[in-house]
Amino acid sequence: MEAWIGAILSGILLGLVYGLAAMGLNLIWGVINVINLSHGAFIALGMFSAYFLFHFAGLNPFIAVALVLIIGLIIGMGAYFVALHRVLDAPELSTLLSTYSLSLIIIGLGTFIFTTNPRAIDIGLGSIGVAGIYIPISKILTGLFSVLFTVILYLFLYKTWTGKAIRAVSMNKSAAEFMGVNSIFILSLSFGIGIALAMIAGCLIAAIFPFTILSGSVYELKSFVICVLGGLGSPLGALIGGLILGLLENVFALKIPVGYIPFIEFMILVIILLVKPTGLITKR
Amino acid sequence: MKDSILEIESLESGYGDVQILWDVNLSAKKSRLTTVIGSNGSGKTTLMRAIVGVLPAWKGRIIFEGQDITKLPAYKRAELGLVMIPEGRLLFPEMTVYENLEMGAYTRRARGDIKKNMEYVFSLFPRLKERLDQKAGTMSGGEQQMVAIGRGLMASPKLLIFDEPSLGLAPKLVIEVFETIEKLKKQGVSMLLVEQNVHLSLAISDYAYVMAEGKMVMQGTGKELSEKDEVRKAYLGV
Ligand SMILES: Nc1ncnc2c1ncn2[C@@H]1O[C@H](COP(=O)(O)OP(=O)(O)OP(=O)(O)O)[C@@H](O)[C@H]1O
Ligand SMILES: [Mg+2]
Repeated sequence: MEAWIGAILSGILLGLVYGLAAMGLNLIWGVINVINLSHGAFIALGMFSAYFLFHFAGLNPFIAVALVLIIGLIIGMGAYFVALHRVLDAPELSTLLSTYSLSLIIIGLGTFIFTTNPRAIDIGLGSIGVAGIYIPISKILTGLFSVLFTVILYLFLYKTWTGKAIRAVSMNKSAAEFMGVNSIFILSLSFGIGIALAMIAGCLIAAIFPFTILSGSVYELKSFVICVLGGLGSPLGALIGGLILGLLENVFALKIPVGYIPFIEFMILVIILLVKPTGLITKR
Repeated sequence: MKDSILEIESLESGYGDVQILWDVNLSAKKSRLTTVIGSNGSGKTTLMRAIVGVLPAWKGRIIFEGQDITKLPAYKRAELGLVMIPEGRLLFPEMTVYENLEMGAYTRRARGDIKKNMEYVFSLFPRLKERLDQKAGTMSGGEQQMVAIGRGLMASPKLLIFDEPSLGLAPKLVIEVFETIEKLKKQGVSMLLVEQNVHLSLAISDYAYVMAEGKMVMQGTGKELSEKDEVRKAYLGV
């Protein structure tokens, strides 16, 4: 019984951070119409940012996350102009190749500089336990911070002029332009936010699990599954998709070897794409 | 020239390698209604897209209020008060009616007037006030056209461009749209109108152009044109 409750709680907390990561993929997909194959690489970059900010600046990931957000925004907006802007109107394959090469560059340099040795951040917060169920405090904080960033993203997209401009561009770019929206700025900002979300998710995950420069790909797969589960377009869909995946994964882990989980996730992706290609939770 | 708000000189443009506009000249005066008519595919929408800047000009000049805007990106032209109500409405379908209207006031020059302009839009289309929270994409065609016109008015336009506002509307709504345009005209709004509904639009316009195959082939006051044989035969069906 305790094992089940523990798995469910853990699934919820992890699901929240998976959802946060997926929002980054979702936003870029929805606004720029680009499938960002460098998503996982940027998650890994977020993990390493957390690692270095912890070891060299003494910042724990829950404080460093604010810096990682800013770093992600800047890198992402820059990457948009370097890798994406010129190929946006080209056939889809070009943007796929372009983001894939971004990923190769990050992973290649990362492997060269950091090697693929596993790293971990132990901030030593301990666990809290109630009635025999123990949950690490860092896991709880990761879940709470994920909710916090989701709320901030939601408020930004729905309550600010710039956020509304992002949504307008995602629905009709030229109409948004003659409303006075600078669409090039909005596209680069959206890519920046998408990358920042990937990196802060990486930063938060680094506080609870060990990682290598290659770890991002696991979370990239999860993000794809979540986007398909939750449908495109809203932070809320991604959060719900994340929760579903987190719960499934942690409950399955009680009964089957952990190594099978990516396989199950991939099966979910394929089945949903076959049965309901528009995603399970859609507004339309 | 002093009372002119928009001057187009020898404009050429098109899509990819295909040239659509050939040496187009047009002049629109302040507080006047200028109309462009022409058969399907003659390049009217292309001209409007070039004027607001979502399509680049290949050659020629576009002068707005004495300023050369030929090279300005679309969003900067909007900031100057050049506003289009596009063909096919192009609303933001997943946004509510209220958000669509709000997006109309995105430019810095219009943001301060949101309240005032919103009241004005409601006075023209009381129906919108009851539908503020409805997703624009779920509204009927006629209602969507009201949102599109309202969204244009929210921008405090200096020149309001209508591209076929009556397209696909029931006759009663067509009349309603033309009444709205007349009302705006009485209030001194400068307008550029593209219409298939030649009879109605020539009747209310101060000056009109006839376009064919990407060129301006005739011009004159609304009355002059509606009396010309070529126009009557080709566009009025008499
Ligand atoms: N995006 C585009 N790409 C290529 N060609 C286009 C594009 N849009 C329009 N055209 C072509 O340009 C020409 C002029 O089209 P345009 O839409 O300007 O005509 P129009 O006068 O507005 O017609 P209508 O009265 O039917 O709206 C047509 O031959 C059309 O096929
Ligand atoms: Mg047209």
